[in-house]
Amino acid sequence: MAAALEQYVTTVQTLSNQGNYTTLVEFIAKNMDMLGKNAAHLDNVLATLDYQQHSIGVLGILVIKYSVPNITDFETLFVQTQEFVTSCNGEQVRYAPDNFAELCHKFASQLVERKQPTRGLAILTQAIQKIQLHPAQLTSIHSDLCQLCLLSKNMKPALRILDADITEISREGGHYDAKDFLLYFYYGGMIYTALKNYSRALYFFEMAVTTPSMAVSHIMMEAYKKFILVALIVQGKIPTLPKYAPQVVPRYIKPLCQAYHDLANAYGTNNPAEVRTAVTKHTETFTRDNNMGLVKQCVTSMYKKNIQRLTKTFLTLSLTDMANRVQLSGPREAEKYVLHMIEDGEIFATINQKDGMVRFHDNPEKYNSSSMLLELDKEMQKCMKMDEKLREMDREIAVNPQYVQKVSGAHDEDMPASTSKNQGF
Amino acid sequence: MPLPLQPGIFQAAVEPMQVDGAPEENDNVEEEPQYTVENPSLDLEQYTTQYTGLARLNRLMFIADHCPALRVEALRMALNYVMTTFNTNMYGVIHRKLQEAVSASSSLPDAVAGSVHSVPPLDVPWMETTAKKAAFKLEKLDTDLKNYKSNSIKESIRRGHDDLGDHYLDCGDLSNALKCYSRARDYCTNPKHVVNMCLNVIKVSVYLQNWSHVLSYVNKAESTPETEQSAKEANLTVQSRLKCAAGLADLATRKYKSAAKHFLQASFDHCDFPELLSPSNVATYGALCALASFDRQELQTNVITSSSFKQFLELEPQLRDIIHNFYESKYASCLNLLVEIKDNLLLDLYLAPHVSALYTQIRNRALCQYFSPYLSADMHKMANAFNTTVSALEDELMQLILDGQINARIDSHNKILYAKDIDQRSSTFEKALAIGREYQRRTKALVLRSAVLKNQIHVKSPPREGGQGGEMSIAPGSASSARN
Amino acid sequence: MTGSKMAGDAEIDFLGLTHELETQELEAPGGVGSPQLYGQLLTLYLLKNDLCNAKFLWKRIPQSVKSGNGELSLIWVVGQHMWQRDYPGVYEALRKDWSESIRPIMSALSESVRKQALNLVRLAYSSINVDEFAVFMGLPVAEAKQAALSEGWTLDSQARFLTPKKPEPVLSATLPNEQHLSVLTDYVSFLEN
Repeated sequence: MAAALEQYVTTVQTLSNQGNYTTLVEFIAKNMDMLGKNAAHLDNVLATLDYQQHSIGVLGILVIKYSVPNITDFETLFVQTQEFVTSCNGEQVRYAPDNFAELCHKFASQLVERKQPTRGLAILTQAIQKIQLHPAQLTSIHSDLCQLCLLSKNMKPALRILDADITEISREGGHYDAKDFLLYFYYGGMIYTALKNYSRALYFFEMAVTTPSMAVSHIMMEAYKKFILVALIVQGKIPTLPKYAPQVVPRYIKPLCQAYHDLANAYGTNNPAEVRTAVTKHTETFTRDNNMGLVKQCVTSMYKKNIQRLTKTFLTLSLTDMANRVQLSGPREAEKYVLHMIEDGEIFATINQKDGMVRFHDNPEKYNSSSMLLELDKEMQKCMKMDEKLREMDREIAVNPQYVQKVSGAHDEDMPASTSKNQGF
Repeated sequence: MPLPLQPGIFQAAVEPMQVDGAPEENDNVEEEPQYTVENPSLDLEQYTTQYTGLARLNRLMFIADHCPALRVEALRMALNYVMTTFNTNMYGVIHRKLQEAVSASSSLPDAVAGSVHSVPPLDVPWMETTAKKAAFKLEKLDTDLKNYKSNSIKESIRRGHDDLGDHYLDCGDLSNALKCYSRARDYCTNPKHVVNMCLNVIKVSVYLQNWSHVLSYVNKAESTPETEQSAKEANLTVQSRLKCAAGLADLATRKYKSAAKHFLQASFDHCDFPELLSPSNVATYGALCALASFDRQELQTNVITSSSFKQFLELEPQLRDIIHNFYESKYASCLNLLVEIKDNLLLDLYLAPHVSALYTQIRNRALCQYFSPYLSADMHKMANAFNTTVSALEDELMQLILDGQINARIDSHNKILYAKDIDQRSSTFEKALAIGREYQRRTKALVLRSAVLKNQIHVKSPPREGGQGGEMSIAPGSASSARN
Repeated sequence: MTGSKMAGDAEIDFLGLTHELETQELEAPGGVGSPQLYGQLLTLYLLKNDLCNAKFLWKRIPQSVKSGNGELSLIWVVGQHMWQRDYPGVYEALRKDWSESIRPIMSALSESVRKQALNLVRLAYSSINVDEFAVFMGLPVAEAKQAALSEGWTLDSQARFLTPKKPEPVLSATLPNEQHLSVLTDYVSFLEN
């Protein structure tokens, strides 16, 4: 083993034992080049270090091992990564979140390249839990896990992290990037869409689309397309974006998504024929964007929305009339739609086969059961918790020195004055 | 975009599903002005004398375009009238149309028609002399104006512009007429002049169908301080003219309620505006717009008991009856009368594009009013009262319910309309829950956003070359896996 | 929503097994699990009426595993019919001699599908043709009629249409008053703050 590597091992061991992790992180940053030059001997170094006691040192080496242009023995590296993620010391690696994230990115992209995304799911899930300060903290590894889930067609492992509402983002030494953020919400939206949790998917796409932005991102544009489709399924129209949505959306992204707006306009007429025309006209675009499946869901959802509108106007209606009014092929198809919608809780109705009629009911929920009370209770608690969170944030801002400086007096004069005063002293 | 025509059975099914029927109607009117009226009961002779100038010509031409039965007669009158003006262009147009109309009708086996409908030959000498005269007059007026300008006599310059405008108008050159009338503006020395200038501009703008222009000049005229010494009578005439012009602009832009209010303010004794419309027009426009947009109370106070408008309505007894029938809830006879006068209305230049929209609104008001006192109504009886079939009524009601105009639900099985009783308690709960969820959603987004801002996350320009491209190529691939 | 309406006591076992199998799948060497694992998990998803996850599981089972084990495709045929809510198809597809490892899950599934069908008819129909009801239940007409009558449903005079009996609303226990009051106090103070 080269002297430099021996030096590395000794320093890692000493600083780790002293608990002087900050210095260790700096030391490793300076030694990355050296490790790169000695890539061939890194396994020997790893053998001398303990994954748990010397987590930061091991992490540095693993990152370098992934940087080699052609990884020959991926299986060994896989096992090493797996072992590291399982046994590393969370407290230590949180001193080197950027290296940790990089390790995970490279690990994920290796699996993608090797078409083995399934193998990374458990490891990345664990990695996220290790590095997070709390479950509501977003890391750049989140998007890696989502990507692997999508590629392996196994959505469930991602749900655990997706279901947590983010309140904080891990800076990762300034490496956390808008791209990580966009991808997380884009992939997350796709996962929820795949599992037909459309309202949550809509929220995710909206988050992607409202990310502060000075330039057109392709991810954002794809998210915008899906945002429109999912919004049609959920709400039947394109919701207005909040005021803070970036200008690039109406200015640049919207004109590039004309096909989707055409579809939304057709949808707005409630006329199935117009929607079908719009779909036919833009089939090529939708197919190219890999959105044809969602588009078909939109079409189905419009029939359902039209049936829901009927429930607002009729107490009873014959299945034949219904089929005519919503342009279904006949009473049998109408009955099928109604049946499915009753099953899914989308309408309240009963079918009378004897008379060929449907009777629509009001929502049978009378808000007087104790289970509903509990439900209300839960919602109320959630609102209160949110309110508490807002207050907390407000307090944080109120005591933020920069904020205090800004609100107390004419900052235009104040700021330079105070700096010059400092210089004077 | 006009709705593609649906095959028969779907017609009934599609229409009630359209919440927003009105815009389509607009478009249809604008894109397909071609319709014909077969059975008008219009006394053309008496009709035309109510108008002067372009108003008379335009109205005659409109009738000629839409009513084959009156075509030849209308064109003949127009031809005679146009020869009293300098408008040689229009003479040419009318003559050509007349020729076409006559040859079309004389091809029919009706021998009498042929003999009656002989066309006077194109009067080329008249056209030439008139054109010469017009040019001469133009030159003279131009020179006069130049003289006035060199002498800087404001009042003369103003008159000069007005005269020139009048002349252009007489020649049918609207854009130049508008220019001249507008130029007079800088030389107005008293409010009366300003009002006069406004009226001139309004007149030409109506001919040009520039309605926003009409309204802005009505406003300008109305905000001009009234001169105390000006005769009361003249003032009222000006007021009525302005109201009529504003009403016309509102009508054309589909603001029926506002149009009704304007027409109702016209004074019968001072309604003299033959260059635009007649008192009968005021009665018709005002009554229909009011029926379409006023509630019962407004109708009672503003129309039925209005002594001024009563006089207008005497000119159109059918409309008077329609209004009274409507107010007395005699919907069947009211609607019948409306059908009777429809043909004549369709021959009205300004009203024609709105007849169907106004009729729909009137009918809808009637339907709502009919049901308002009931908890449940037999749809067979209701259909009877509205001269319609139960299934057509069902469609109409459905639309009204969706629009929120009637709070009811249809029992299509027993054909009964039930007033919907809303469970306030449940709907309040429902709303509260929805608002709570929305609050949570927005707050979550807000908390996330503050984290984004704190970390200064934003998409930068230009995006990083290598990394972005690599990741993006994955995105669409995995997108496909997310689909079914 | 229908998944939650399943037989209560058996569900707990199945739920535990589902989690166990999901973990096993993630930890499978090389990311490929055994046919038995896939078969059980697929059937469990169907039992839970979690058709989305069933569909994705079917999609991710490696082709080699699928072709080596014919039963997997047969399970998915059940899933496909469930996806289309084609009850006769489901009953038909269920009628197989399932292997040991999934037999208990399959029989629970059969039972749950039938129960689900019965509940749906009860919820969605105020009158239903006897023959169609039999199709829903996957039973011969006579048996279906018997099953309906035993649920307290009624048959019309021509014996053609059944009228389902709507379930009685279940009155659940109310919250203790004092606790309720204190909760309400909290809310009022929150809303008024």
